[in-house]
Amino acid sequence: MERRRFETHVTSTGFKLPSIHEFPALFCFQPFSSARSNQEDIWTRLILSYARHRRLFTLCADDAEKPSSDWHEVLSNERIKRKLTGQQVTTLLQTLVSRNQAAYEPPKQLSSVILYWRKPEEWAEVLHSWAVATGQLNTIMTFYEIQNPAIESDLTDIPSGLLRRAITILTKTQRAQFIEGGDGDGVRFFSGN
Amino acid sequence: MRRGVGLAAFERHKADIQSYATLSDSLSRQSLDTLQSQLSQFRAKLKEFAALHREEIRKNPEFRASFQQMCTNIGVDPLAGPQKGGWWAELLGMGDWQYELGVQIVDICVGKREQNGGMIEMDELIRLLSQLRGIPTADSDSSGSTGKAPQDVGAITEDDVLRSIKTLKPLGAGYEVVNIGSRRMVRSVVKELDMDQATILDIAASIGGKVWPDLVAGAANWPVERAVAALDNMLLRDGLCWMDDQDEDAPVVYWVMSVLQFE
Repeated sequence: MERRRFETHVTSTGFKLPSIHEFPALFCFQPFSSARSNQEDIWTRLILSYARHRRLFTLCADDAEKPSSDWHEVLSNERIKRKLTGQQVTTLLQTLVSRNQAAYEPPKQLSSVILYWRKPEEWAEVLHSWAVATGQLNTIMTFYEIQNPAIESDLTDIPSGLLRRAITILTKTQRAQFIEGGDGDGVRFFSGN
Repeated sequence: MRRGVGLAAFERHKADIQSYATLSDSLSRQSLDTLQSQLSQFRAKLKEFAALHREEIRKNPEFRASFQQMCTNIGVDPLAGPQKGGWWAELLGMGDWQYELGVQIVDICVGKREQNGGMIEMDELIRLLSQLRGIPTADSDSSGSTGKAPQDVGAITEDDVLRSIKTLKPLGAGYEVVNIGSRRMVRSVVKELDMDQATILDIAASIGGKVWPDLVAGAANWPVERAVAALDNMLLRDGLCWMDDQDEDAPVVYWVMSVLQFE
């Protein structure tokens, strides 16, 4: 018999799943330690690249259980009738956080994270470049304006927690300043040279 | 020189020949010494150069390529450090090509080890090697013209792999070729594969990689406990299998990684 061969698959959202996603045992956590760490590498890489592909910022443990979830085509594979459990996703969240590829959001719970498919430092640069390019220096902006710009940007829908982290990084180089406002948070950007 | 006659002349002639031989010996030794010292000077300079430009060599691929080309021409590996270990060719009797292939074999075996527990099928290894070397493989150009000789573009053969693995022996890395049934596999971990595991590998290879205790017991004519024990050793001790507990065929099935192929 020919060797069993697993093929890549392109999903309905145009994401190319690696061939190992067709492998049933990928959905069962392995007892052998090096296989297990290999498996967690595969999953975390897959989660981050899918998040980047669809611009998904959050991942929750119960995303595995809901067919309507944005994550459905990655956390489960209907072609081979396999899916991760909420428990398994919780474990992967922990791995992501321990590698600084995600942070629990809100803090002090273990079932949902913000994914860092860009590091907060990179988001800080994206944010500042955007402010410069769109002529927003020295004016006060609300978070809402950054998250819902008239012209869609890389920052559209960025979660407030991540936005705050990026701004905090900019404040350290005097390129931004938090403004406490009556209705929601604000920020002012500076050229910083 | 007057040509003498008699025994004395014969003796003198013999002495002459001897002294000529000594002279020529010492002359060629001298030139050999000079050559040797020139060569070692050259090597020292080359190492100096390598040390000086180490960063550049690491960062700039073009610079690295031409530098390595120059080095391999004269049998020096300056990147291997200051010890004598740098002289690959001398130490291991490897040509540059063989050495390079050896490194790539190690690269692939180590890279796949976490997944397959250190066992890889020869065909699969050759396929990955070809991929790494940018050689079109049988299945990558199957869509195009058919029946093209694979030798065209420096294809890797099983023989090349066998020879490279042999030259890796002095490194003590434990690379070995083992026959499992009709298949050849390359093992990159120093571990004894027992008879039961070999039997299971053979069964798995013949039916597409997925096995479970009842199936193995039936095929090998073993009691089920023996199959369970052997499979658990492969799974838990040697990392040769991945398990799946959602399969329809059995509560737990075992996938033997080294007989699977991931695109």
